[in-house]
Amino acid sequence: MKQQQVKLISLVMVAVFAISLVLAACAVPATAPSAPAGGEAASTDVAAPEAAAPAADSNFKPVWYAPAPHPYFEEVRKGVEAFEAETGIKVEKQIGPDWNQDSQNQRMEALAAQGFNAFSVYPADAVGTNGLYEQLTPNGIHIINFGTSTAQPTTASFAVATDVKAAAMRAAEELIAAMGGKGNIINVLEVLEDPNTALRKQGIDEVVAKYPDVTIIQEVADIKSVEEAVQKVGDALSANIDKVDGIIATGYTPSVAIAQVLSEYKEKGGDRTIHAVGIDTDEMVMQAIKDGVMDGTIVQNPYGHGYLSMLLLQYLSEGYTPKADAYFVDAGFAFATQENLETYNNDILAVTEQIKSELLDKYLEK
Amino acid sequence: MTQREVKLLARQTNQRGGVGSALRGILRRSDTSVVIATLILFILFSFSNSSFLTPFNLFNMSRTASLYVMVALGQAIVIVIGHMNLSLGAIGGLTVVVAGWCMDTMGWSPWVAAPLALLIGTLCGMFNGFIIVKSRLNSFIVTLASLFIFTGLVQGISQGFPYSNIPKEFTMMGRNDLMGVPFLFIFVVIVLIVLGYVFKYRIVGRRLLATGGNLEAARLSGIRTDNIILLAHTLSGVFAATAGLLWVSRMGSAQPSTGTDWLIVSFAVAIIGGTALNGGEFSALGILASAIMLTLIKNGLIMLNVNVYFEQTFLGVIVLLAVSVESIRMALSNRSRRSQVKSTA
Repeated sequence: MKQQQVKLISLVMVAVFAISLVLAACAVPATAPSAPAGGEAASTDVAAPEAAAPAADSNFKPVWYAPAPHPYFEEVRKGVEAFEAETGIKVEKQIGPDWNQDSQNQRMEALAAQGFNAFSVYPADAVGTNGLYEQLTPNGIHIINFGTSTAQPTTASFAVATDVKAAAMRAAEELIAAMGGKGNIINVLEVLEDPNTALRKQGIDEVVAKYPDVTIIQEVADIKSVEEAVQKVGDALSANIDKVDGIIATGYTPSVAIAQVLSEYKEKGGDRTIHAVGIDTDEMVMQAIKDGVMDGTIVQNPYGHGYLSMLLLQYLSEGYTPKADAYFVDAGFAFATQENLETYNNDILAVTEQIKSELLDKYLEK
Repeated sequence: MTQREVKLLARQTNQRGGVGSALRGILRRSDTSVVIATLILFILFSFSNSSFLTPFNLFNMSRTASLYVMVALGQAIVIVIGHMNLSLGAIGGLTVVVAGWCMDTMGWSPWVAAPLALLIGTLCGMFNGFIIVKSRLNSFIVTLASLFIFTGLVQGISQGFPYSNIPKEFTMMGRNDLMGVPFLFIFVVIVLIVLGYVFKYRIVGRRLLATGGNLEAARLSGIRTDNIILLAHTLSGVFAATAGLLWVSRMGSAQPSTGTDWLIVSFAVAIIGGTALNGGEFSALGILASAIMLTLIKNGLIMLNVNVYFEQTFLGVIVLLAVSVESIRMALSNRSRRSQVKSTA
């Protein structure tokens, strides 16, 4: 290859990487693209819960780790930042490049090698992450799962997360109530490999079983992208358009798809009344609720996932230990509807406040 | 008798024959099997569920198939020259994010945002082509590297947040129709007709096929193969970007996760549709039929309410059955050729 060509290629490569770095650095702040309606936007400005936090420990070097960029993690990060602001403790905040367990292993091992000794982690893989934890915890490192739990048994001290089955049951109850206690439901599940999906399905099935006039006429699942979700929700709706009365989703992606498909159905003059309940506060979902296309959505507590997991790590660093059977910290959830769109976030903050006040008595001992 | 003589005899017989020769001609086409399989599936699903033929379902299916076609074209155009583009989905994702950023964050008109996003996608494709041509590296390696670059840009710019404030007029293409036929489908059919024409009758199309058929022979015959490779990858970027924009138009929002699952679809639709994996062959009709077939199967499985935990298994089995029509076609085609040669001899 000619020297000139090599130079040219090198220049192009350098230019690309430089542009990448500049774009990444100048990228819009996390909240800049259409701030989510309701809770997510509101939570940015909320002060940390008021109860006293433990004093800072100089040996406490905490890390907050999320596997990949996602709106949910930006909300969790706000809780972590509130903890930092309140305690003055610097938290190393890292977001990985993908949902790959291998990436997570490499990054967390590197952080541990740098002397970080307390990790709040969203596990990339419920089973695979345990292998990583088993390497780290014998060295005195405390780990807490946020957002979801690793498979049991685990060496993580706590999981601060939504009780997914309870949330699914509440969603089903709300949907059935909106349907007037009778009718046919399409249940849209998400990723089948996720153990939480089975719990969500179980929760919905249990609620539906209580209502003799309610039937699940179709289940849709194995959804990994919005494209797939829109296609499958659209297909399921087409297949049952003459008999469906309600549609429920317990995953973020299907909820966005339901909002999109139902909004379009209404726009095109679809006259059947189809009730819908989703989860999380993507702007399309919140807009659909505002427009009356969807009935409501389960609002999780990402702020609490971040704040409470850091607080627990600090307690652990001060010599507290988890009480027996006190592994799961239910971070709570709320149900947002057209009526409480402006205020539901206060309910969630109250839950965080309540859990914080109970942490020492309910979950820890010395 | 040499193969050339056999072909010559077959051609002479075709010229003399009537319906029989027309049938033989159809059998010889590589896209015949996928068209037949698609028709069979369409008929089967029509009888299996009364909702299948409703306008609502047909409208949705044709839109999904249209997007599959556009994604597959992004891959097919490089497969034709014996290359591949692993960064196809990431280019689509980057286009989506750029379009969303322009319209939502910057508040720019779609008339500015869409061409800008399309330009970014085109430049991404051109970047792939340029590196491949200049470095002589395999397209697999180069596009694998650029997949990471573009994915990083998608995540860096969007930080995972969707862009929701997309002007209503931008959704016209993705949501509206002309007498029940989605604009998306009409657009894609026009693109396919143009491509079919270019590949069959235009010099640039023949050069693309020749480059994929035999790179060295193409070069020796005077084709500037480097330019053709650059062109193919640039077009791949154009198709990926167009698919991304069409997706934003359908969704009414720009989701940064767009494109993450395009890779399998792009290869599946292109290859099942008759694009030769080692280059040199392209079928516009095959790609359309293949996209419709995949959409039909996915839609049909939901219509039939199959167990969600075994859905992938059913999908695989039906795809396998559908493509096995190809082996039947080849057997029939060979038999017809043999009998034709016998009768002529």
